[in-house]
Amino acid sequence: MPDYQELKTEADRRWRELNEGSRPWVRVGTAMCGQAAGAIDVLNVLNAEIERTNIDAKVDTVGCMGICYAEPLVDILKPGISRILYGNMAPSAIPGLVERVLSGNEIDFEHAIGYIGKKVEKVPALNTLAGIHHQKKIALRNSGNIAPDDIYQYIANGGYGGLAKAISEMAPEDVIGEMKESGLRGRGGAGFPTGVKWSFMARGGPPKYILANSEEGDPGAYNDKGILEGDPYTLLEGMTLAGYSTGASNGIVFIRHGHNGPISRTEQAIQQAYDSGLLGKNILGSDYSFDIVVSLTGESYVAGEETALMESIEGKRSMPRFKPPFPAAFGVWGKPSTINNVKSFSYSPEIVSRGGQWFKSIGRDNCTGTAIICLSGDVKRPGMYEVPMGLQLRTIVNEIGGGTPSGKNVKMIQLGGPLGHLLGKESLDYHLDFDEMREHGAMLGSGGVIVGDETKCAVDIARLLVAFCQYESCGKCFPCRLGMSQLLEMIDRIANSEASPEDIDLMNKVGDTMEAASLCFHGQLGYNPLRSALLNFPDDFQTHIEDKVCPTGDCKEVLLAPRNMRTYAEQYRTGLIPIETMAK
Amino acid sequence: MADEITLTIDGVEVKTAPGTNVLQAAMNAGIYVPYLCYYPDMKAFGACRMCVVEIEGGPPGSQASCTVPAADGMVINTKSENITEMRRGIMDLLLSEHPHGCLTCHRVDLCGPSDICLRHVSVNDRCVTCPKNERCELKDTVRYLEMEMDTPLTYNNRNLPLKVSDPMLDMDMNLCIVCGRCVRVCEEVRGDNALTFTDRAGRSLIGTSQGTSLLESGCEFCGACIDVCPTGALVERKHKWDKAEKTVSTICPHCPVGCQMDLEIDKRNRLIRAIPNRHSPVNKGQGCFKGKFGLDFVNSGKRLIKPLLQSDGGNNQATTIEAIDFTIDRLGQFKGSQFALIASDRGTNEDNYIAQKFARTVMQSNNVDIASNLRPELIPPLEDMLGHHAATNPIWDLEDSKCFLITSSNMTEEQNVIALPIKKAVKNGASLVVIDQRETEMTRYADIWLRPIPGSETALIGGILRVIFDESLDDHDFLADRCVNVKELKDSLWAFDLIQVSAMTSISVTEIQNAARTIATDSPCAFLYGLETLAPDLRDTCARGIINLALATGNVGRPSSGIYPLLPGGNEQGSRDVGCVPDRFPGYLTPTEDLRKQMNDSWNSHVPEDPGIPLSEIVSAVRDGRIKAMIVIGDSPNFRNGELGEFVQSLDGLEFLAVLSTFETDLTKIADVVLPATTFAQKEGTYTNLERRVQLLHPAIGASGDEESPWRILSQLARRMGGHGFDHADAGSVFDEISSIVEIYGGITFSRLRNNSILWPCLASDMSDTPRLYTSEDSPSHRAKLARMDLQEVPLHSNSEFPYLLARGRILHDPKRETEIEIEKRRAHIRQTEIFELHTADAGTLGLNEGDWIEVTSPRDAKQGIVQLTSPLQGLISTTSLFGELASELDRSRMPDPMLEVDSLPLVPIRVKKIERAAPV
Repeated sequence: MPDYQELKTEADRRWRELNEGSRPWVRVGTAMCGQAAGAIDVLNVLNAEIERTNIDAKVDTVGCMGICYAEPLVDILKPGISRILYGNMAPSAIPGLVERVLSGNEIDFEHAIGYIGKKVEKVPALNTLAGIHHQKKIALRNSGNIAPDDIYQYIANGGYGGLAKAISEMAPEDVIGEMKESGLRGRGGAGFPTGVKWSFMARGGPPKYILANSEEGDPGAYNDKGILEGDPYTLLEGMTLAGYSTGASNGIVFIRHGHNGPISRTEQAIQQAYDSGLLGKNILGSDYSFDIVVSLTGESYVAGEETALMESIEGKRSMPRFKPPFPAAFGVWGKPSTINNVKSFSYSPEIVSRGGQWFKSIGRDNCTGTAIICLSGDVKRPGMYEVPMGLQLRTIVNEIGGGTPSGKNVKMIQLGGPLGHLLGKESLDYHLDFDEMREHGAMLGSGGVIVGDETKCAVDIARLLVAFCQYESCGKCFPCRLGMSQLLEMIDRIANSEASPEDIDLMNKVGDTMEAASLCFHGQLGYNPLRSALLNFPDDFQTHIEDKVCPTGDCKEVLLAPRNMRTYAEQYRTGLIPIETMAK
Repeated sequence: MADEITLTIDGVEVKTAPGTNVLQAAMNAGIYVPYLCYYPDMKAFGACRMCVVEIEGGPPGSQASCTVPAADGMVINTKSENITEMRRGIMDLLLSEHPHGCLTCHRVDLCGPSDICLRHVSVNDRCVTCPKNERCELKDTVRYLEMEMDTPLTYNNRNLPLKVSDPMLDMDMNLCIVCGRCVRVCEEVRGDNALTFTDRAGRSLIGTSQGTSLLESGCEFCGACIDVCPTGALVERKHKWDKAEKTVSTICPHCPVGCQMDLEIDKRNRLIRAIPNRHSPVNKGQGCFKGKFGLDFVNSGKRLIKPLLQSDGGNNQATTIEAIDFTIDRLGQFKGSQFALIASDRGTNEDNYIAQKFARTVMQSNNVDIASNLRPELIPPLEDMLGHHAATNPIWDLEDSKCFLITSSNMTEEQNVIALPIKKAVKNGASLVVIDQRETEMTRYADIWLRPIPGSETALIGGILRVIFDESLDDHDFLADRCVNVKELKDSLWAFDLIQVSAMTSISVTEIQNAARTIATDSPCAFLYGLETLAPDLRDTCARGIINLALATGNVGRPSSGIYPLLPGGNEQGSRDVGCVPDRFPGYLTPTEDLRKQMNDSWNSHVPEDPGIPLSEIVSAVRDGRIKAMIVIGDSPNFRNGELGEFVQSLDGLEFLAVLSTFETDLTKIADVVLPATTFAQKEGTYTNLERRVQLLHPAIGASGDEESPWRILSQLARRMGGHGFDHADAGSVFDEISSIVEIYGGITFSRLRNNSILWPCLASDMSDTPRLYTSEDSPSHRAKLARMDLQEVPLHSNSEFPYLLARGRILHDPKRETEIEIEKRRAHIRQTEIFELHTADAGTLGLNEGDWIEVTSPRDAKQGIVQLTSPLQGLISTTSLFGELASELDRSRMPDPMLEVDSLPLVPIRVKKIERAAPV
């Protein structure tokens, strides 16, 4: 097996050839954002065109660049010319692009959105773009830059430097120390210090497991998948580091089934890592051995809960276990396990190679590093942005997102995923910070930010969230299984303007029971969207209940149907039967 | 870790063992905490959240007490206002989906448990539509919470159709609260995984994983799911609406495990439900299809309640006096060895002690045996080599064994509950080696499944022993300190050349070696043998081989090791203990001259000298006139299944036959006199199970006519015929006589048994019982005798009429084969094409190809099916059916005691004929 220096030398050689060689290097963004915008068609036309015109060019498909609104992106590096990104490419525009840029030596100014490197006249520098200049990329440092199917490109960009350093120079506890020093807090939503979590892993021999959670079932969240599509190696290196520092023998990447892009990218990356001696027995010639496999979930949001995820890996129905025992002592197959979100792992290679102090200098004191925001809803520039912690939501919505397309005011922000909160416009003043959000009664979650303007009805959005949470309840613990169904029933009544004021009290009562008594976060937090909607948008509810109309007209359509399964009663009952009231 | 920790629950100081959860600790201390999904002895699940408590200084908020391990110094509050409100909140939600007319009906306070009233609530909500009315844990919990039943939550009745097509049990998913107890007991305790959660969120329910019938989902119809169900969602179909008047705990007569069952009796003196006792050390709350659904034969209207006398070719009712007079008169003419008595394996120790005493002293005959004693060779090798006559270790020792060797036993059907600790241990990583030609449930759990050529089992075991000694895997110390004849055994093993053994058994040398290494290295290892598929003359050597194996690997006298002979009959162990066998007197004494003198004294009568005729020779003895008169007690499948030859027909040739029976059978039809006998449920007495545990039976139902316990009937006959010592007042005094003669029962009395069951030997009243035999503390000087082994030629199966052997297997679940479920008269049953697995060479001889249809004919029946060329053994044809077939057959059976009809699956001689049949579409 080659040692790290050999790998690095070979990688650097290849990288130089790509960047300074005689062939043009074309990178097409084919992450989800690109695909949604038609990148596959663009890629096909591009390949056909290159073949037809007989140009000798290297074409790579790459992950998300962090400017999703400009997708499909074609990124062309030609010898002697700066690297230029062409955005919003339609297939029809490709032949022109090929002719002018690849065959000729021109620049397609119509589509060029930014350059990287030496200044190009009439084209802005990429990092001055509104969506880009607030960004600080750590986990996504390579995304869009390297081909996610070429491990050498990763190594050439410093990849596996952290692992090589750890294995050759650092004791496992030093790695954990560095992680603690960095102040990195788990990016799955709870914000628990990652280094501390790693230090909890039970002592003793194998098997012990490192689990990477990429279930990511939140509507409006796609940053884990973004990492896997753009740079799966950083996850693998991060997991291997975690494994080294905790003495684990096995890693499992847990991905929601059906997300074929991230799945195949990860599997391919694992294979390459094995081939390069970066996984398997005696990694980089050391005594340390580590294996990684991919495990797929069924279609279940709750499978993202750490213990439900373990059940799922074991081939069981993904229902959460109770805690304690905690995974660090009793995890998958009953063996000690450390589970982190994909994002948390993806930071660790840079933390180890550049030091915890460096990471700590980014973001805020209590909340270091960056956040990967998935911005969507009523904004001009939705997308995935990696920004420093502590950035204000207003900056994110207005500057990065470009404000609402309608020009109307922002009315609400949905933060923290479906179990998070529906916040009013005052939340624009909040900053990306686990603790500050908690003080405001909100939570950062895993980075989903959904913006709604004044045309949106809070009841409608709340109903959507409740319908999601109800459908995704695993059905194990009673308060969640039964409570969510009842909540859905009630919010449905409100949306249909059939509710009475007592329904609000009833919702609160059910919500309180769920929050206090449920087994896992799904039930404990399941009332969050509704509670926050009631708190922040009382008028919307009032109008529904008292005036029997929807203030915006959004709630006309009953939208339960496709995702909500409600109870069997739905199919059979002829009318709603209240429980008989009786004196005891 | 400390042995005991102390915590405070609701101000009360509670001591508990470390590892106990808070809920269990509270319950043990008599503090009630409501719960719905937890079930004692099962892992906590934490779903219902009803058992929430507050922990002072613990994590904020509430914790489900079932999931919190008790810790020293913990202070727990189970009853605060917050907690109660939370429980009510959850219960409100629960009742929004559960029919609750039984709680909200305005007559509820006036209404008695079994009242019928007109509708005061909507029809599908009425209390009388719930089979668990007043037995419902949900209802109890609601009452405990003192709920105001006025929640404005929307009530959603699920309106699901009932599931009533599966055998034995009804499912009403409208009543299910999705606590998951049934799913968990099926997986965790039974290892079957027949039930699972279906769907999710508000639609989560219980069902089978593929939505199939239970018949094909791997269900063993043990009824464990019913026993744990807190509501009426899962119930026994028979008597589901009936209310119990009293509950009596007694012992199941169906197999030698001797499960303690709580029998629920209604006011009409009927057994309406049998619930395995959770505190019994034998079955720990578990039962099987026989015990759960096969005890209500005691209710049958076909039960004999009057004596019958044969006259004019028919049976006529008679009075007891007439019948007894007649019997005495006739029996008096057949004293001596022309008389034989066959006792029932369901008889109590008292019944069968008196039976043999009657035969020996009054009738002057040693011809006495038990109806189940088809394989008498199971025990003598143990006696010979170890000096005792039963399993060495208790059943639940098996839970911690690391390895098992099971030789020819279909234990999940024959001794069901003993398989539970084995399955559990195997799931936890123990190794299982099975020697059997049949595919059974245990072969599916096996790590190594050896299918030797029938007759070569002893050779196989010798081969295994040879490997163990060759590779020096034997327990040298144990052999040196605790055994004799080591050299003899080793020398005799020279004959067991592995290549030759491999050729004889058709098992590869590697497989033999693997098995040997597994058995020798995964310690402790337990050895269980039923010898169900072995020819009679091979059983003795095979059993000796197995005992050699156990001794050579040092697996005797230690916890979780040991030897378990798997007897077929319910109280067969006890019957042997009390001498109800032809060649041994009570207490396994050999009939030497001295002994006979001694017995003469204690019984105050003369004891015959000539050896008795065993059960297996009865038919021929009757045929050649050696036996002229008989008493047969009870019924046995062996009278019909051909294992004893033409039993009933031959008994027709007797000059006198008296039958003590519960039902009319083929035998009562030919009997000269029939005396009605009580069932187990009416008896007081003792059974001894296969782990040597003496347990007390309690009468649960009264007599409905003139039926009597066999011991009382026989005592009456004896007294009238001049016998001495037949005037016991009750079963207890019979038992006192037994314990005065049978040394191993010496310290056991009824009054001790009322507190605890006792494992013999218990020699004196101040001695405790003996869970394990041959421990170094108990018998340090005792040396086990190893037996030399002979490599015998495998006897050829030479039956020109039926030239092949058929190995019939039965398993719970076979996902690989397609199954068709047919609903007939509302009940599901399986339609599956029989597959016969043939060896290619046999197929060649018979001119058969894969997929051909054949008819397979045994002396008893014929079956048709498709040929598959997958049998590893020449001369052996195997076929495997689903247990579901048997279950639905038993369910539909019109026999009064259907569990007697369960086929024990011996190897059957057959002939094969190719038939023309169109392939199924």
